[in-house]
Amino acid sequence: MTSALAAIALLFALLVLGALAAALADGAAAALARGRPAGAALAVPLRRAAFLLHQQAVTTERPDRLNWLLAPVFYVVLAAVGLSVVPFSADLVALDLETGIVLWGACESLVVVVVFLHGWSANAPFAMIGAYRYVAIGLPAMLVSMFVLIAAALPAESLALTAVVESQRGLWNVLRQPLGLPLFLVLGLSLTLRGPFDYADPYDLAGGTSAEVSGPQRAAWQVARLTMLVAFSAMAATVFLGGYLGPVLPGPAWLALKTALVLALVVAAGQAFARLPPSRMLSALWLVLMPLAFLGLVIAGVEAL
Amino acid sequence: MAVSRLSSLAAAAPAPVYAAIGEGAAAAIEDLFLDARLDRAASPRHAALLLVCGRFRDDDIADLCRLHDQLPHPRATLRWRAEALPGFTPDGVDLAPDADVAAALHAVYRALVAGARASEPALLPDEPPNPWRGRGDHGQGGEGMMGGVPYGRPMAMTDDDLRDGLALDAYAAPFGPFLSAFPPGLRLDLTLQGDVIQKLAVARPPFDQPLEAAHPLRLAARMLLPLGLPGLAERMLRRAAGLAPGTPAAVADLARALRWRGARAALPPGLGRIPGGGDVRTRLDGLLAAAGRGEAAPAPGAPMALSELLVGREWAEAMLVLASLEPGWLRRACRADMPHAPSEDAA
Amino acid sequence: MTILTDIVFVLLSGFALWTGWRVFRTDSMVRCAFLLMLSFIAVGLMMLLMAAVYIGVATVFMMAVEMMVMALFMVMFMMNPAGLNPMWMVHQHRLSVAAGVVAFAGLTAAVLASTLPAEPLPPGRPVVRDLGTELLGPSMLIFETAGVTLLATMVATVILSSRRGRFGDAMEGACPPGLEPGGAPAGRAESESGGGHHHHHHHHGDHG
Repeated sequence: MTSALAAIALLFALLVLGALAAALADGAAAALARGRPAGAALAVPLRRAAFLLHQQAVTTERPDRLNWLLAPVFYVVLAAVGLSVVPFSADLVALDLETGIVLWGACESLVVVVVFLHGWSANAPFAMIGAYRYVAIGLPAMLVSMFVLIAAALPAESLALTAVVESQRGLWNVLRQPLGLPLFLVLGLSLTLRGPFDYADPYDLAGGTSAEVSGPQRAAWQVARLTMLVAFSAMAATVFLGGYLGPVLPGPAWLALKTALVLALVVAAGQAFARLPPSRMLSALWLVLMPLAFLGLVIAGVEAL
Repeated sequence: MAVSRLSSLAAAAPAPVYAAIGEGAAAAIEDLFLDARLDRAASPRHAALLLVCGRFRDDDIADLCRLHDQLPHPRATLRWRAEALPGFTPDGVDLAPDADVAAALHAVYRALVAGARASEPALLPDEPPNPWRGRGDHGQGGEGMMGGVPYGRPMAMTDDDLRDGLALDAYAAPFGPFLSAFPPGLRLDLTLQGDVIQKLAVARPPFDQPLEAAHPLRLAARMLLPLGLPGLAERMLRRAAGLAPGTPAAVADLARALRWRGARAALPPGLGRIPGGGDVRTRLDGLLAAAGRGEAAPAPGAPMALSELLVGREWAEAMLVLASLEPGWLRRACRADMPHAPSEDAA
Repeated sequence: MTILTDIVFVLLSGFALWTGWRVFRTDSMVRCAFLLMLSFIAVGLMMLLMAAVYIGVATVFMMAVEMMVMALFMVMFMMNPAGLNPMWMVHQHRLSVAAGVVAFAGLTAAVLASTLPAEPLPPGRPVVRDLGTELLGPSMLIFETAGVTLLATMVATVILSSRRGRFGDAMEGACPPGLEPGGAPAGRAESESGGGHHHHHHHHGDHG
């Protein structure tokens, strides 16, 4: 019981500090991509957030106010619930569920619902189109990730994340299943509406689901995206980089380090690649990434036999 | 104490600016946003400052007023190199044509955040354009489950479809003339199904931008924004900004960056093909090559109507096509799609 | 601990009932779909309390995806925005009331008539493994046949309804390829006016 409470405290510390670090990383990465000095830009996301707290939260004509306001809250809750099955060490886990991977999958699919609600409830055309689009891209991206996660669960012979980590004592999954981590990073970009997978809030829709959102409400949405990025990074670190395993340092420290590594990768990937038009991305997802994920699953299955 | 800390943190942020770009102002605005003190807002809801720059048509004034009122409080308007705008009368600040615009914008922004400058009141009354005309036995909009004309806008109803026979709801609305993803001044009456453009009529063509033929690198940079590569676009613009027309630019590193970022692969082959003018991908290649040789932008190809290029395309693809069109060619293509002659635009 | 579980169980069943009732009282298709999803999520959590860890979490997972797709299609065909144009969500009252009463009576009778297991789960029992053995053991043929049939149906429906056919645009008279390259279409007389055949497709672009 006390270890569960300690794990919950660690979980919130990781979410808060991770989101802060992710904001700094975002500032630096955006500046580097523009060819500006990164040091001066580190704090820019925090300053922008401070301004948003000064700004009026405008409303549209007859929005679904409840869902509009709750969407960022749900987003953060899903990040926290998804993170709750990640073990900080062998006996330090907030929710040691036998089906931890499936719970994470449920969080992934609910993220699609939350982003859709965020766009739909604004009662505005660009927000609605962003919501449509995100469902079309987000659902297959989620399916790809489920294949990848099931493949990672095969060597552990368990859907529990503690078992998945223990199965990596000899060899991390990133080496055992080289297809896994790159495909899972695709999901990370999609879950956090980032760069090449930002189909919900892109430039060509004037901000998409966020087009009509301003002030504290917009700040909340950005913070929610960052917390989801932290939860995703911790999940990726657990499933592919051995989670809390590592010499000398205690388990939570290793998990935090590996989470930071994945987080940096996702932030960099968000700046590094062009966004395909949605129909082309849909073809790529169904015809390239999905078969690749399935291939990975078949290879993992044959290995497990 | 905490509040003042928050205020000073906010005052140090880049000023979020929405630019209403008029005739002849596009290049100047693009160069302005290379400054780290400014953020270019994609939506007026994200901005604190409205920058009005260039010359506008009489028809645009009403849209400008609506745009102004969409900015959340605290807000301020700044006019720079703008001619007199009868009917658009926020307090605002007039900037000298040769002022340090970025510094002036940020100073107004800081005053807004500190509360030293009052936010501008709305120009238009905040009420629906038409009365609610809901019908039906239970207060719903139309008869049965759908339809109706709430607030004078017909609700979307299913309609035949160009692409897959799904016959989704068709949504008709005007877009522009200040939409950030459109060429400045373009106003389109579009019918969308999902995000596929079903019908298109040009209400107003984009503004003439005489200066923007200056460098093909500038045109290439515009194509990178809908691809989600604002960083690379800024690097291109910065290189273009320092060059006189006709000077060859070093583009080898930019072309390499484009390939590495998958920008060429992201563009569907054949998208926006114009006889004699290639498709979106070859136009991007052609612009970069021309910039490297110090030539003008390549020939835009045979004339077409805009609707021939955009109808049946998804929104994202349509924005890529729009961004890839040579400005002069686009203005001619728009005229082919205007339901009435420009002189009839009295309303 | 058990009392706490009981309290949570009662709260969740109350929530499931309340959201289920709100499904019929709201005025929007999307709200309706997601209220139903909330109801199912509450049921999924109740299954978690009843030690059905896989089925409970999988219910949440499946219902989120299903209701999302349902809501999306509703918006696509009845673009009812958030609050602008409220809809009247109930129709065919008498039939619905009758169907509801019959279903409630039937389910209640089934619950009352069957003997429900009451013994607590022995600790350490591998429930997920048991469920997997059940699903992929004796019942595997049924589940896999049904799954593959459903998938084939979905793929076939999409192919049949799509205008972009394998042999060209369906509206231009799709044409099978010739038996030799460039030859006449196989198995069909060339009878159409041929209007679409010199139409230049947009997808023939160079890949270079």
